[in-house]
Order: sequence, then C-alpha cells, then structure tokens
Amino acid sequence: MSLKDVLSPFKVWERAARKPWTVKNPIDERKGSANYRGFHKNDLEKCIGCGTCEDICQNLAIDLVPVENVETNMGDSGLRPMIDYGRCCWCALCVDVCPTGSLNMSNEYNWIEEEAEGFRFIPGADKKSWDDSDKGYHQSDDIQLIDPARIVMEELEAEERKSTFVEMVKGYSKEKALLEAERCLECGICVARCPAHMDIPEYIKAIREDDIELAVKILYETNPFSASCGRICTHSCEEVCALAHNGEPIAIRWLKRYIMDQVTPDQIKEIITNNIQVNNKKIAIIGAGPGGLSAAYYLRLLGYEISVYESKTKGGGMLRYGIPEYRLPYDQLDKDIDYIASLGVQINYGKEIGKDLSFDELYGNFDAIYFSIGLEKPTSLRCVGEDLDSVVAGVDFLRDITDGKRPDIGNDVVVIGGGNVAMDVARTSIRLGANVTVLYRRRIEDMPADLEEITEAQEENVIFNPQSLQTKIEKAKSGRLLLQWNNMKMVEDPEGDRPKPIPIEGDLESKEFDTIFSAIGQKADLSFISEKYEEKMKFKWGKAVTNQFGQTDIPKVFAGGDVKNWTADAVSAIADGHSAAKGIDEFLQKR
Amino acid sequence: MEDFLNRLKQKVEIREQIKQRDDLYFITIKKEQTELVLRYIKDNEKFKHLSFMQAVDYLDDSKFMLIYMLYSFSRKVSLGVSVFIDRKEAIMTSMHNIWPHLWQYQREIKEMYGIDFPSSPRVNEDFILESWDNMPPMRRDFDTLKYSEETYYQRPGRKTNDPKEYMRKKLYNDFVKTPKLRDDK
Repeated sequence: MSLKDVLSPFKVWERAARKPWTVKNPIDERKGSANYRGFHKNDLEKCIGCGTCEDICQNLAIDLVPVENVETNMGDSGLRPMIDYGRCCWCALCVDVCPTGSLNMSNEYNWIEEEAEGFRFIPGADKKSWDDSDKGYHQSDDIQLIDPARIVMEELEAEERKSTFVEMVKGYSKEKALLEAERCLECGICVARCPAHMDIPEYIKAIREDDIELAVKILYETNPFSASCGRICTHSCEEVCALAHNGEPIAIRWLKRYIMDQVTPDQIKEIITNNIQVNNKKIAIIGAGPGGLSAAYYLRLLGYEISVYESKTKGGGMLRYGIPEYRLPYDQLDKDIDYIASLGVQINYGKEIGKDLSFDELYGNFDAIYFSIGLEKPTSLRCVGEDLDSVVAGVDFLRDITDGKRPDIGNDVVVIGGGNVAMDVARTSIRLGANVTVLYRRRIEDMPADLEEITEAQEENVIFNPQSLQTKIEKAKSGRLLLQWNNMKMVEDPEGDRPKPIPIEGDLESKEFDTIFSAIGQKADLSFISEKYEEKMKFKWGKAVTNQFGQTDIPKVFAGGDVKNWTADAVSAIADGHSAAKGIDEFLQKR
Repeated sequence: MEDFLNRLKQKVEIREQIKQRDDLYFITIKKEQTELVLRYIKDNEKFKHLSFMQAVDYLDDSKFMLIYMLYSFSRKVSLGVSVFIDRKEAIMTSMHNIWPHLWQYQREIKEMYGIDFPSSPRVNEDFILESWDNMPPMRRDFDTLKYSEETYYQRPGRKTNDPKEYMRKKLYNDFVKTPKLRDDK
C-alpha cells in the first residue's frame, strides 16, 4: 500500500469548505405530479360512511370509526374511514369505488411523524396540510367500478296502459334481477331508512346467490306483505341508497318483487315453516289491512289466538280498495293474505265494529285489541256545491272499481287533489275512457303524490291544472257540473317554508265536467270506538297517540298504521304491526 | 413511420397496429417472429434502444402479453412490439442477445409472472422477492387479500364498525325481529 492510497480518502475533505454539489433539501421543491396518488383526503360532508372503501381495500388498511361532530342519520352511518398507512399501498381502489366521490387523493407524499401510530388517520377529520389540495388522484369517468345505471324495468307503453287494468310493470327476469343485484354494494345504509327495517342487503345477496328460499325467509322476518310491497312500496330505502349519490339507486323494490314472483303460495308455505306454540290468550284486531294482518302474523307466530274483524268482504285494506289493480294485481295481494290466514289467523269479513259488534264486546272478550284502520273519510272540498250529485269522493270511486263496478263517469272528469289517491283516481278514469283533468292548488312539484305516479299519469295524457283552487260547483244548463276555480300565485314564505298559494283576485275560470272527484285527503273514521274508551285514549289531529310499541293510554288497546303514523303508507303500517306485536306480547307476558 | 410499417408488413404478419400518438405506436406480431422482427427493426429501422420490457396477464383469455418498448432517437418515436404467449405454457425465447440488458427485465418477469426465459442469464435468481414461496404475485389469480391476511398481523387496537349494525344501535335499537326465521350465523 502506497502513501497515496492512505492519504487519498482524506482528499475529499477539501470539499467540506466548498459549496455542496447536492441541492439542499430538494424534497420541498419536488411536488408530485398533478395526478399523483398521494395522501388521502375525504370530504366529510359528502361521505356517508357506507364502508365500500373498507370492503374493497386489499390490504385491510381501512377501519370505519365514529367521528366527532358527524351525526348518524337515515342516510349516513356517521362513521368515516380511518386509514392505516402502515398497510396502505396507495392503489386508489378506495377512491375509484367511492359511491359519493368524497374520498380522493392529494399529490402530497411527504409526511414525517415521530410515532408510528400517527400514520393512522381519518382523512378530513384529522386536519392535514393537503386537505385543500386540488391536485392528486381523483375519481374520473374513465374508471367506473360501479355501474351508475339500473337495469331497465319493462313496462307497458302508455298508449297500451290507457285501456287496460293489466299490471303495467312487467317484473325482472332472472337474468335481469341478477344483474341488478350485482350492483348492490351491501353497505346496509338503506336498512335504517326502511320503516320495517327489512334486511335489504341480505336478500339482495340471496338473489345474487340464487337462493330464493333464503330470500323469502329474510323477507318474512320483517314483512309478510312482500309481494304487495315489491310493487307499491314508497321505497324510501332507494332515496338513501349509496348509489343514488352519483347514479341510480338499486331497484330494491323490484328486486323484492322478483323474489316473491319466483314462489307460488304453496311454496311459501313449504319455505316458511313455523312451529307455533299455541297459548290461550286471545287478541282482536280491527282492520284486515297490511297493518292489522302484519300484527296478526307476528302475534300468531308467538302463539296467540287471533280474530281479525274487517268491515269489507275482502282483506288488504287500502292496498285492495285504494290502489288500482294495474299497480297491484289482486292475486298478488291474495298471495300475501292467504299465507297469513293459513297459519290459523281467523279473519271475519263483513264484520264492522260499532255496528255488527261493539268495541265494548271486544274489550271484554279479548286480552288485547289492536286497531289499524285506514283513512276512508274524505276531507271536505270546502266549496259551494260539493254536495251535488256527481261530486264523488275519490276513495269511494276506487272502492267501487275494486268491487267490480264500472260507474258511468261521463266523458270529462276532474280530480281535485295532488296526492296518490288523486293520481289513482285520474288514471283509473283514463282507463274508463274519460278525458281527465287534475286540479291542484299548488305547483306540480309540490304534489304529495309519488313522482312516478305523476309522471305515469302525464304519460297517460292526464291534464294537469296546477295552482287552481276550487271555489264553486253548480249545475249547468246542460245538466253537467260547472266547476269554477281561482288561479293561484305562489308567494315565498317569509319563514322559509315552502311557497304558499294565494288566490289571484278576480282571476276565475270555469269549465263543465260530467263528474268531479274530490281527493284532497282522508281521515280515519273513529266512530267505532265508543265514547267511554275514546275519552281515555289520546288523539291528535285525528291520529292515535301511543308509545313506541303502539300502546294507547288504555293498556290493552294498541293502535298502528294510517290511524297512528304520519307517513300513512303500507310499509309503515306493516312496521307498526310488527312493533305492536312485540308490545302486545310484552304486555301480556308481564300481566 | 407509415412507410416503415408498410415495409414491415411485406416481411411479417402484423396482427394489430395502433397509433396512439404521433410519437407512440404499438404493433402485435406472431410469437414465432419475435426475434426476426426485433433484429430487423433494430438493425434496419433505427429503433436502437430498448426502453423496457413488461408483461400483462390476460387471465380471461388464458394468455400473457409480452411487450418490448423500443425507442428511435432519430425518429423520436416509441414503438411497442407485443406478442401473446399461452398462459399454461409460459415460456418465451430470451432476447438478451439483441439487447443484453434484457436479462434483467426477463428475470423480473420470471419472478413476478412466472414466465420462463430459458438461457437468459441469472433468470432464476431472486429479483426482489426473497424466499418467495407462493404463486408469482403479479398473476391475476393471486389472491392479494388472502395472502395479506395469512402473512401479516393486524396492528393491535384496531376497531371497525359495520354501518348497518352501527345505525341500528344508534337509530332503532328497540327494534327486534319476532321471532327469528333464520338460524343465527
């Protein structure tokens, strides 16, 4: 070894005093590219805590955790993703799959932390310097892991519909149902929103696995009216579907119908086998609608002896007498009712409480009473001439149609009202060959009817005459009815409520009609409850006041359905029936 | 470029031809003609440089695609030459005699995709996966999640929530299904 070899390493020391060759702290100046998959950011307002990011993560890097100031509500679990950067590989699948598009990435890639635990964080909630960065990997239309469009449901064309009461929605084939079921993310956000808390993701999963038996069992756990609800449910579950945020929600209602379309009434009896341990307690149920019969079903499973009293000749309540058969064919409703009856639930048709039997008798003879009656008493039109002949209550008309009558309504009819009953009356009148006008005091967008009913009515050439308030009905010289109305203007509400309709002074119009239908609302007819009981129970705005299990202030009397809740739809009545069954069971167990 | 591709078509079969940009072309050729084509375009058509080589797993078609990415400094054009090989018989002739540095790419592809290049130098040596004892991880039928679950442990103290169950507790805890129709899982 020469002296040079020994000294040469020290030669580099001369560099110590000079300017370094390397660039000082180059990291600060090297930004990630605009599309770089850097650290995550999450828009907490947009995120609904569906957990799809957690599901897709191949590295199990994501947990769903509660976050301060984020509330759980019907469309939001209140949970938010926490990412473990010890496991994340920045593949960005979580970003690509996010149904709301809330989860994205910045182009930041430098993060220094003293403790390893610090690298677990909740994007959006744990404030980071890159939260406001608009650079980095974002969801794009090029990569769509979720199909935003639902599988189209085949329906009869409007022209064909106008002359028939045949069911207009055709239902999914197996192939289509499987494709639609394939879109479900199984997040389960919808379950809370469903009044009956049906286990939607589980029955959709059963469809996907083609296990119809299991699917039927899941349906009956929370809803013995699934063939009906699969057709006419208000499907508020679909409003909160994770997919609804950036596309069309899963067709939950049609998938439920698909399940029930696959089984005959006999097959249902084979699938849902029950070992009923009969006890000797008796329960009377007033009203054989979806609410009364749901309570009957669940109480029967618990072993009670059930007597249902129904004033009409057939069961189903408003499902049969309020909803036209082109939306809910009677055989489908019978399918639901027959199964419940087959369990030994005794349904007494044509027995009206307060007339054929007194409330007092029921009270004395039964251990508990559940009443779940429909809203059948029409609200007054509050205008001169509403008592004239050919001014008909919409609900009465629909009931006649169900009974097989085809009343002569003439060529020109008008329906006053904007709810589902108004739509059903209008569309039924179209099917009887009439020209139909709908008169409503607010705008079309204010109508309480389901949007699809409004759209379908428009397709069937129902004429909408919004912002019109009926003022007078009189007999015209022609013998027809002359309806006069006042045109309305919409005025902003100073308190921020929806705009109010105000009559435009002197702006009156009138037209002759053969029949005028009133459909501006219905109330419950409570006359069947004798006074001494009615006094002890509480009613507010015509609705029974109860505890959460439907118990009124008279301990052995329970109520539910349209006469109790404010949504007044089938699935809420079913949910009420289910929870009343629990309430009644607990009440009778304790006694 | 069009002239060159036409000339090439006179000599060999070109199964697919894509012009992505003015300076980026892709062609697909027959596996048997790979060496012929690569030598020809390197020696006669100025694509002197091999930028990289990569494989793609077409699991559904049971094929692997191998792509040789070439660059011409004089034309200032990139050209991807791809060939398809059978996934069940994943062997390809080594091209390291044309571009010596291909040995390294081929070694990586052997490790990540399990495609063999017999006679390629050091092709059986570990590249980055030391003591790997599983299916080549870039094959699409490799279950990343399963491997991750079996191989690594969770950081202690982690806790997650199921949205459906969490919402039940928060919003409708009183709700009970009466009675149960399914067996508990």
